[in-house]
Amino acid sequence: MVVGDIATGTEVLVIGAGPGGYVAAIRAAQQGLDTTLVEKDAYGGTCLNYGCIPSKALITSADLAHEAGNAEEMGIHADPVVDMSQLRDWKDGVVNQLTGGVEKLCKANGVNLVEGTARFKDENAVRIAHGGEGQGSETIEFEHCIIATGSRVIQIPGFDFADEQVWSSRDALAADTVPDRLVVVGGGYIGMELSTTFAKLGSEVTVVEMLDDILPGYESDVARVVRKRAEDLGIDMNFGEGASGWREDDDGIMVTTETEDGEENEYRADKVLVAVGRSPVTDTMELENAGLEADERGFLSVDDFRRTDVEHIYAVGDIVADTPMLAHVASKEGIVAAEHIAGEPVAFDSQAVPAAVFTDPEIGTVGMTEDEAEEMGFTPLVGQMPFTASGRALTTGHADGFVRIVADDDSGFILGAQIVGPEASELVAEVALAIEMGATLEDVASTIHTHPTLAEAVMEAAENALGQAIHTLNR
Amino acid sequence: MALKEFKLPDVGEGVAEGELVTWHVAPGDEVTEDQVLAEVETDKALVDVPSPFNGTVNELFAEEGEVVPVGNVIITIQVGGDEADETETAAAPDAEAESEAESADTESDETGGRVFAAPSVRRLARELDVELGSIDGSGPSGRVTENDVRAAAEADEAEEDSGPRNIEINGQSATEKRDESAAPSAESADRDKTLAAPATRALAKEKGVDIDAVPATEMRDGEAFVSPAAVSEYAEAQRAAQAADADAVAAEPEAGTATAETAEAGPVAGERIPFKGVRKAIADQMQRSKYTAPHVTHHDEVDVTELVELRSQLKPVAEERDTKLTYMPFVMKAVIAALKDFPYINSQLDEENEEIVLREDYNIGVATATDAGLMVPVVHDADRKGMLQIADEMNELVEKARTRKISPNEMRGGTFTITNIGGIGGEYATPIINYPEVAILALGAIKDKPRVVDGDIVPRKILTLSLSFDHRIVDGAQGARFTNRIKELLEDPKLLVLE
Repeated sequence: MVVGDIATGTEVLVIGAGPGGYVAAIRAAQQGLDTTLVEKDAYGGTCLNYGCIPSKALITSADLAHEAGNAEEMGIHADPVVDMSQLRDWKDGVVNQLTGGVEKLCKANGVNLVEGTARFKDENAVRIAHGGEGQGSETIEFEHCIIATGSRVIQIPGFDFADEQVWSSRDALAADTVPDRLVVVGGGYIGMELSTTFAKLGSEVTVVEMLDDILPGYESDVARVVRKRAEDLGIDMNFGEGASGWREDDDGIMVTTETEDGEENEYRADKVLVAVGRSPVTDTMELENAGLEADERGFLSVDDFRRTDVEHIYAVGDIVADTPMLAHVASKEGIVAAEHIAGEPVAFDSQAVPAAVFTDPEIGTVGMTEDEAEEMGFTPLVGQMPFTASGRALTTGHADGFVRIVADDDSGFILGAQIVGPEASELVAEVALAIEMGATLEDVASTIHTHPTLAEAVMEAAENALGQAIHTLNR
Repeated sequence: MALKEFKLPDVGEGVAEGELVTWHVAPGDEVTEDQVLAEVETDKALVDVPSPFNGTVNELFAEEGEVVPVGNVIITIQVGGDEADETETAAAPDAEAESEAESADTESDETGGRVFAAPSVRRLARELDVELGSIDGSGPSGRVTENDVRAAAEADEAEEDSGPRNIEINGQSATEKRDESAAPSAESADRDKTLAAPATRALAKEKGVDIDAVPATEMRDGEAFVSPAAVSEYAEAQRAAQAADADAVAAEPEAGTATAETAEAGPVAGERIPFKGVRKAIADQMQRSKYTAPHVTHHDEVDVTELVELRSQLKPVAEERDTKLTYMPFVMKAVIAALKDFPYINSQLDEENEEIVLREDYNIGVATATDAGLMVPVVHDADRKGMLQIADEMNELVEKARTRKISPNEMRGGTFTITNIGGIGGEYATPIINYPEVAILALGAIKDKPRVVDGDIVPRKILTLSLSFDHRIVDGAQGARFTNRIKELLEDPKLLVLE
């Protein structure tokens, strides 16, 4: 402790105000615990400021522009002009409204807000360095701590985000101009979301992916629908190539790639977006002072209650090993940690984690695939409904994709779903609920779904699995 | 190969526990489906428990004489099969494996122990400290519901409660209340599980002590281990404590004080008979009846001289039809006729809904003394049966009760009970109503007694009647009129022909 530095105390200290941290702090305060939330940058974390929300704002506007300009079939003729500066202001307005809302909610729930960077002094105290010259620091002693420091984008050799021509996803979302030519390194979900978005905004997009296909982790027929649409948008996709460097010349930049065999290729661009994943932020907190150690990749191990090895210190969100880096997972973990501290009978025991990719078309997945179900020892029973058989999908002008539902043949319990198509991110919520509730195919098939909606496809897929589909041929 | 657990099933409606009387199998025995594994005595009857599987007996989880709650695993059976990966789960039965034991479906064994239950149910399970995987869901396809979790929590609680009950059964609870200095080693260890050699268990049984109560001599694999010496020592300490207690009682000069102290210290020394099974069920039933229904007993006597004559005439006729004709069918017929005239006596009180339910069926119970205690087989729909049919059915049921072959169903649903104390001797009684019935009729012995007939004193055959009825439902006058109607029919049994 610095001379004259008086430590303040709190029952629960939350480090990081992203979707894991702020949710944990609010819930802890709701439980009557004296709660302090430390944030070094912006309330809402990556999700609200540099991820989910700005990207969805950008995707929505790009979709709108693209749709309006490509609706001749419906008799609509337009040539939209995108004012990127204005678009950015609107997007920032959305972000600011949400981050301001988070701050207000924290205060309204009685959470003490502290700005600064936290470092552990020992297992019961942190030192908060306030940002900026002469802002000083303070010590906060805690009874319980929830670490929610999230993740940062991964940089690759030869590509420094400090360079103007090299974009991280965060830079891309903050762009106020649309590059004429964009090379995207990485065909994962962030790379594909931004590829399709910039393609719709008018960029000539080239994707470079080291693996054989886009969207690793998703089934090939799901990825295929997205890849086909990307190709239709004119995106050039190159597989089996890793970006090795870039150089500037008179005509913008040239991005160099290498194949496994050492073959080199070059792609012309104005900007290169590197979207190869994210890594946990656990190296800034001096965890060792608290008796904690992250694994070699920077993740912390936790139990069902999100407790680390040091029982009164919890970890939630992107820094947690073995759970996906998703905002909604972080929030759930934050609630579990806060309630567990408060003595509630909680645990992180969700049966399935839904995930959404905002490509064109969208992907929504939850629970097991057919193969995973089989590996788990179930006898999978699968039902599928193509959106081409959905009246509502056809009337939106987007009928690519399908709803696939996976269930256990013996019991009928729904185990998972893979949806690719319009509003897949929304549709997947129904299946997530079905899985959590232990619903069977019959339950979903027997639930009246509004007509005409896309959600009918979920009902139809369940009926298809039962051999009772009306609008598709039963498998 | 898979290890299947078999839980004590509900061998009769509403039966919560049963005493495992006899094992018919031992570890290593091959068993086939439906082969009788054990005899279990519930509070209603002695029943056979058949095996649901073909296989080899692995382990028995209950001792003979042990009272086992329904749902507890009593035996594990190694079942043949090719699914090699099942063995791992099965080899060390744990809470999760337990859940799948009852169902023949082994799929869930292999599906990562996934349990289908809503988040709210999962939370409740954590709240009530119930292992979700140990519950057999009652929802669609075996989904675990909130009620399942609550029931499991209650069962767990009951199971915990059953620990001390074992101790009481073996008569050792009193020891705990006694002066510790008198026999410190007699203190019960009160464990749930005890490791001991079979011979040690046999010794404990022989000496009448509960192995779980014997202080452990060492720990093995984290479990208490008891040696034969420890059993002997404990039994001796028990005996000494009881003797000391008896001495204390005997030494007390004032009877009143002695009684008070005895009451405080528990029952005195002497042979200790477990208060359980049929005996306990009878006690519970009697207590419940006595404490809920205000009993009134109406006594009367009836001249059955003509009935005796009639019966002696009909008896050989019945015998020709292989029927043993006692007085009971006549009494039953008379009772049914009277019940029809006085329907409130053939009723039940639905206390919850505050309604008197007039029963439309006439199921007459016949209280039967058996070696195990009183049982009441029921002749169902006796009003629709002829005299000989009633006689045959009743004789068969009574025989089944005496030989403990009767099923719980055959003792259920009675609407009125007749008890014949006369077979043993005696005239009057105050029978306790067979809950939830409203009345019970006790018959005394038929004796020759002097009666005045047409001004002359003549010997007549006299039967005594004692009718106990629930004064909440039946008033004294109605009880008397009902009895009068029975008398009328028994005095002049020709009238029974009209019934």
